[in-house]
Formats: sequence, C-alpha cells, structure tokens
Amino acid sequence: MSMQNVGIDKISRRDFLQKGLVFGAGARGLSAGYAAVPDVFAKAVYSAKSAGVTNDKILVMIQLGGGNDGLQTVIPIGDPKYRDLRPTLGKEADAALPIDKDHGLHQNLKGIKALYDQGKVAIVQGVGYPTPSFSHFDSIRVWETGDPTRRQQDGWLGKTIEKNYDSAGHPLVGCATGTTSTPGMLRDLQATLTVINDQASFKFQGNSDNVDKVMGTLYTGTPGIYGALFDTAMSTVRDTVAQLKMSAAKYVPKAAYSDNQKLVFSSKNQLAAALQLAAELIVTGTGVKVLHVTLGGFDTHYTEQTRHGDLMAYLDAAVSAFHQDLVAYGMADRVLIATWSEFGRRPVENASGGTDHGTAAPVFLIGDPVKGGLYGQGPTLAKLDSSQNVSFNVDFRSVYQEILSGHLGLDGKDVLGSSFEPIPFMRAATG
Amino acid sequence: MDEPGQQTAKPVRRLSRRTVVLGAGALSGGLAVSRVLGLYALGPDPRALIEPTSAPIVNTKDWVSPLERPEAQVAQLLRRATFGMTKAQYDTALTDGFKRTVDRLIETPAALPKDLAGADAASQAKPINVTALQSWWLDQILATPTPFAERMTHFWHGHFTSDFRKVTTQAPYIYWQNLTWRRSALGAFRDLLYQVTVDPGMLRYLDLGQSTGKAPNENYSRELMELFTMGVGTFSEDDVRAGAKALAGWREPLTQPMVDYQVARAQQNGRPAPKTVADTVKTGVFEPARAYRGSVTYLGLTKQWDTNMVLDRIMQQDSVAPYIAGKVLREFVMQDPPADYVNRIAAGWKKSGFDVKTLMRDVFTSPEFLQPVAYRSLVKSPTELMVHVARALEAPQLSKTIAQSGAGMGQALFDPPEVGGWPTNASWVSSNNVLTRVNFVVTTLGGMQKLPAFGNAHQTHIDGIVSEPTAQLLNSATDDGTRWLILLASPEFQLK
Repeated sequence: MSMQNVGIDKISRRDFLQKGLVFGAGARGLSAGYAAVPDVFAKAVYSAKSAGVTNDKILVMIQLGGGNDGLQTVIPIGDPKYRDLRPTLGKEADAALPIDKDHGLHQNLKGIKALYDQGKVAIVQGVGYPTPSFSHFDSIRVWETGDPTRRQQDGWLGKTIEKNYDSAGHPLVGCATGTTSTPGMLRDLQATLTVINDQASFKFQGNSDNVDKVMGTLYTGTPGIYGALFDTAMSTVRDTVAQLKMSAAKYVPKAAYSDNQKLVFSSKNQLAAALQLAAELIVTGTGVKVLHVTLGGFDTHYTEQTRHGDLMAYLDAAVSAFHQDLVAYGMADRVLIATWSEFGRRPVENASGGTDHGTAAPVFLIGDPVKGGLYGQGPTLAKLDSSQNVSFNVDFRSVYQEILSGHLGLDGKDVLGSSFEPIPFMRAATG
Repeated sequence: MDEPGQQTAKPVRRLSRRTVVLGAGALSGGLAVSRVLGLYALGPDPRALIEPTSAPIVNTKDWVSPLERPEAQVAQLLRRATFGMTKAQYDTALTDGFKRTVDRLIETPAALPKDLAGADAASQAKPINVTALQSWWLDQILATPTPFAERMTHFWHGHFTSDFRKVTTQAPYIYWQNLTWRRSALGAFRDLLYQVTVDPGMLRYLDLGQSTGKAPNENYSRELMELFTMGVGTFSEDDVRAGAKALAGWREPLTQPMVDYQVARAQQNGRPAPKTVADTVKTGVFEPARAYRGSVTYLGLTKQWDTNMVLDRIMQQDSVAPYIAGKVLREFVMQDPPADYVNRIAAGWKKSGFDVKTLMRDVFTSPEFLQPVAYRSLVKSPTELMVHVARALEAPQLSKTIAQSGAGMGQALFDPPEVGGWPTNASWVSSNNVLTRVNFVVTTLGGMQKLPAFGNAHQTHIDGIVSEPTAQLLNSATDDGTRWLILLASPEFQLK
C-alpha cells in the first residue's frame, strides 16, 4: 500500500496505524517506535493540506460550564421587568458597567468592559437553538457537535481540525489546556489532539528520555478497540513533550495571571493557568490553531449572586491577562477568544437566590480581530415562552459560521453540514 | 493463540509462541532494557536494543480472548469487581473457581471502615481535610476483606454523585455520604434511592435542602429522573417542575459542633446566641411547613405527593430498569452492550424487585461477561488503575500517593468533574492521562524500597495476553524493576 493509492490527503496517522503500515513498513518501523516513520509521512500530508493555506489565525474557545446566566452577564439595565423577575439578583443592575442605555456588563467584568470600549469585544445576544434541551449533557452535546438533532458524535472543532489541518505529527494543532480529558468540542477520531493539564508536569518522570523512547515502543500497534486511541495518545504525548521542550525557554508571561482563590466552591481560578499555557503555546510558535479551556461552576441554582460574581471576576482576570500577554508579544491580531455555555438561565429567580436551567444567552467574542459591539437581539423579558424562558434569536451555528469563515478563512460547510448566515463580528477575513 | 506454558523462553515464562519468536529476536539484540529505563542504570538508545533482526512482519491484530480458561475468568472478574488483585487474591479466587468467587464477592456483608478521626465533628471551625478523607477511603479499598462492596460504593459515588466543593468540608455530610452509599450499595435500589434523596450531602449538592413548596428548586427533581433513574428524554419539563414541588420540604441536619460554631460566632460578634438545636439524625429533616400543599400532576398522575410517593412513581416507569442495567453493563461488562442484552438483564432485575445483588449476580454470571467481545473492552478508571498497581506490588502504603495522584488523571475522589459523575472508557484515554498513568507507575516503582518478585505477574494480571511490543520488551528485560514497569505501564494493564 503506497501513499499514492491511499490518497495522501485522506489518510491520517491513525489510518497509518490501523492499516498496519507501521509494521508493513518493516521491522525497522517497529523497532524505531512508529514516531519516526509517520513524522516523515505526516509532514508530507501537512504540506499537502497546507498548500495555499495562508491563514495564521488562532481560535480560543472558553467553556463556561454549568450554564452561564446571560442576564447577570449582559444585564438589561433599562428593563424594569428584569428587577421584577429577580428580587435579589436584580440588584446587580445598579452596579453594572453600562455599554449603552439598555445594557450593562456585570460589575466584575471591568477588563472586558475596557476591551469593549476599545472595540475589541463583540457580544451576540440571544444565542440558542430550536427546541432547547434543559439537560446539561444534552445541551452540551448540541453545542459541542453543532447539531441540535443530536445525531453527530464528533465535535465541531475536532471536525474543523480533521478536515482542514491534518494534525498527524502536529499534535498541538488542536489542544485543550487545564484539563485531563479531551473536551467534546475537540473530539474527533481522525484528528490528533493534545490535552495538557499542567505544563510543568507534562514530561516523563524518571530518566525521562529513556522512558519516553520505551513508551514509544510499548504503545505501538496496540490491538483492541482502544488500541489506536492509546497509541495516538502516547505518540501525541511524545511529540508534545518534544515540542514543549523546544518552546519552554522562549516564553515568560508578560501579564499577571493571578489564580487567587475566591469563594467559588473552594476552587482556584483554573482558567488563568489554562490561558497562560494557551498563551505560551501561541507565542512560542507551536503551530496551535484551536484551543479549548473551561471554567466550571456556573450551575447556580443557589446563592447565585456571590458565586456568579466570583466567576465573572475569574473570567475577567484570566481573559484580561491573556489578551495583555498576547498584545505584549505582538500576537493579539491573530487570536479570537470565544465563550460558550450549554444554556442560559431562567429569567425568574428561585427561592434559593439562584436560577434554574434556561435557554438563549449571549456569546462573547473577544480580541483584536473582532469588530466590537452588540449583535443579535437581547431577551424580551415581557414575553416569555411557555417554559417561562426567553426565545432564541440567533442560531448558535451562525456564530460558528463566522468563526470558521470570518476568522479561520474556511468554508465551514463540511463542519456544520450546511452554510449559516454569519453574524458579521469579525473585522475582515484577511490572512 | 497457543496454550501458555508449552514453549518457554528466558526470562519471562509462559508467553505465547508468537511472542517467544519475537522475544528471541529481541534477546539476540542482547542488551538489558533495565538500562534503558534509567530506573537502575543508564543505557544506550533502546532502539539499538530491541531491533529485531529477523522479526516477522505482522499487522495489528486483536488480542485473542483467553476467557475460556478458568484463570482468565477469575482474573477478569477480580479486575472488574474489585479494583484488581494481589497474587494471593488471585490464587484464592482460582482455587475457589468463578462461581464461588462471585458468591463470595456478592454475599459477604460489607466490612465497614474505621471512623475517620474528626469527621463526625466537622464544622466551619474544623473542616475535614480532603486528602485525609480520600486516603481514608483508599485505605479501606486497599485493606478491606470485601473489595466488591468498595467497588460498588465507588460505582454509586459516580452515579449518585456529589463533590466536596459544593457540599463543603465544613460539615460531616460528604463523609456520611460515603458511609451511606456503602451501607446501601447492595440492597434494594428503591431503598438506596430514598437514602440518596434525603442524604445531607445530596440535599446540598443538588439543592433539595433549599427547595420549598413556595419556591421549589428544580435541580434535584431533574437529575433524579435524568441521571439517577430514568434517563434523558423520558420525562417532560412539567414533570421536573411538579417533582420539585412534590419533593420540597427537606432541610440539612445540624450537628452539635455545627451549632456550637454558630453560637461561638454569635458571641464573637456580640449577637445573641441562636436558639438552634442540633439534630439527632444523619439524614435530612422534613419540615411539613416548608412542603408544598396541594396536588400536582407528576409522571401522568395527579394527586398530593410526598417523597416516597414520588420515588414509587419513578420506580413504576419502564425506563428505570434498562437505564440502570445499561449503565452497569457499560461499567462492568462491555463498552457497548446490545439492546437485547440490556433488556434481558433489566427484566431480571425488575422481576427481583430491583434487588442490586440480583442485578450484579446476573451481570457477572451472564454468558456475555465471558465472551470474547467483553475481553479488554473496558478502560480502567484512574482509581482502578492505581489500586491494581498497589495490589500487584503488594504496596497498601500507597493510599496517600493514590489519593494525591487521582486529580492529574481526572479522578480525585469526592470531586467528580460534573453532576453526571465520572467519565468512562475512551474518555479516560487522553494524551494527558496516558502520560500521568505512566508517570504514576514510574514514580511508584522508583519510590519502592523492595519490589515483589515478578514471577508470572504478566499471567496473573494481564492473562499473559500481550502485544508484540509488550512481549518484546518483557522478554528482553533482565531485572524485575523493568518488568514491573513494562507490565504496569502497558496498554494491556490499562484495560480491565
């Protein structure tokens, strides 16, 4: 089997393994641990896929896990109905940071407000999808796959990587930082993805070079239903370790990433560390295109005001430092930060000073390439639906569409299934 | 695959003929892998060492299931039902045989852990130390004579999940929850469900302790149906709202140390001491005044409800048995159980009155449990991996190390990532997680004063069924430290 008759742009490292090409390549392939063989191969694939690709843009998705309360994030300060529905939480309207006469950002979003004033923040309001699910897991899956019919398994970003940037041999093309497992948005069996929880410990212990090499052999041609998954994960580790080793010396953060602990569920600000690692991967030229990070804790059924306020402060501190760092390194014009959350929360406050699962909510797009301002349409609190929730005005795939076409310069049809009317929040899709 | 033991090669015995052939090639390379690993001595590039000079060219193929052999049958049972095994536990099970081992695991009443010092008295003044709590449970997992009870406690910890962050360590609740899950792990599911509903940790984790008839909180009502019993898409949003009303009225219990803290706090601030009285129960306290008065329509029935009626109504739903049976099969038997298998196990379980022992016995003794499709079809959770490592190395002192290593692999006990509990199978395999698993093995071996003899450990723990590279590395190793590293870090050992 040769590369030619397989079709060079249709084969990934995983196919390479599954088709037994490593062993087929001869004993030398086995003995070398397959890393040596596919790297040569992968480079050919990479250059084939990259021919004509000049886009150097980078996407950072921030998941606000648990269902972020959109009404406490972009507060409808001009709507008396808001205070009626939220006797406790509604007090945040007084402290909000106005962006126009009707809307204010949560008081703890000071850094993001400053970026908004510089025209670097787009807020798309009322983002959701038809017949919304109130289940965390169901709705997370919809956002992850970009498929409200729940038929797709692969994540839309995983697909983006698979279809546009062959990641074989380039494990950092798609990367999740500050977590231990692959986020659903990046999941795709044909894409190589790296997960780095903590960069300092992302190396082999013991005599690391030797353990590294032996693991390369041990995880070669592994049989069974998880075999390719294990082998790919291990080769990704080895490639990533090598890449990080090269990049480590070049990066010193040029912003203060504080992980100071607030009250929230006794957790530190994990987002700050995750974004600092993301910045390092970006500024050291590892070839990263798509990053995913998560801030959890947004399922605020109870005493929401303090918890949500703390989370807003976490988000604001981490994003501000990240942006400042990118500016200092001259990389800010390449990076788009986008937030997502499985759903917003119900407009009416519950008796625990919290809110229950809701529907549409705003999405933030932050960065120098963004055309700042308000997009979409805010919630109509006077006209709630039968579930006492707001209706969505913008299909979330219209946001994805603009990210794909306006930022990454891709068609997006192969990822989203069809084309969606983009929300024009990017300045211009230039290389 | 040939029967083991017929053709042996130094130094690892009883590998298959195929691996021996490869091994011979590797051995002809001549150098010790131990040098390569750097645990004991530095050595040259391993590629020079293991390059087979005349190895056959073979394609990737599946491991051949050994499950027709009695020793492989009990080994699979112990890996899945007890977090893996020591050599002695393996030998005992082999002597007893598969059926008697299933009986023993299921029928022996759970041995209870010794008290965690200070946990009952936890308050804002003296919170529980999380690492101490995690180590306490891992001590129990490693030392218990009834490991199946621990495995089921762990299973329910992932199913009826709560985390110490929201529950907090400033009350004994998260500790009590572990004790309650263990006590109720193998009884009637309906009883367990009641214990879960009124569990103080759960009352806090899913906010039922805050829910009142006037202002119901939907969190518990939703997850009770979606995650705990029936599954997504089997109920309506109206059922969620009605259930929230029907279940309202519970509050968290207060212990004397918690009350004492409130009193001391009030004195410090010059306020009058609250008249709160400590509760005597370790469950939620139902206050009728906080409950909902009036009838609601819940799962198709309109009437005035109480908590037991809600749980009874749920147990009448056809979705419950297949939902739970399917989850158990995915955790204990195979990645993707066919629907007729799920339905058969579900039907038997329902017929038993939802007895969890009957369910687990039916699962372990079902023919599917020993079919080739089940072999190596499940990925060990981090806790299963680390406990099996400690058992294989006869190293129960590792409990604290295990407690502290879980987070890096995605499984810190009492701290699940989300209300859905722990991930399973393929979700455990990320680049981060394979690295941290290998590193756990490397540092554990590096820290051991004395290692047990390797002997036939590859037979005991992974049935002697290994891939070419694993065999090759084992065969060419010349010391036990290296053999243990290869075995415990191998892909084979990550599976159960």
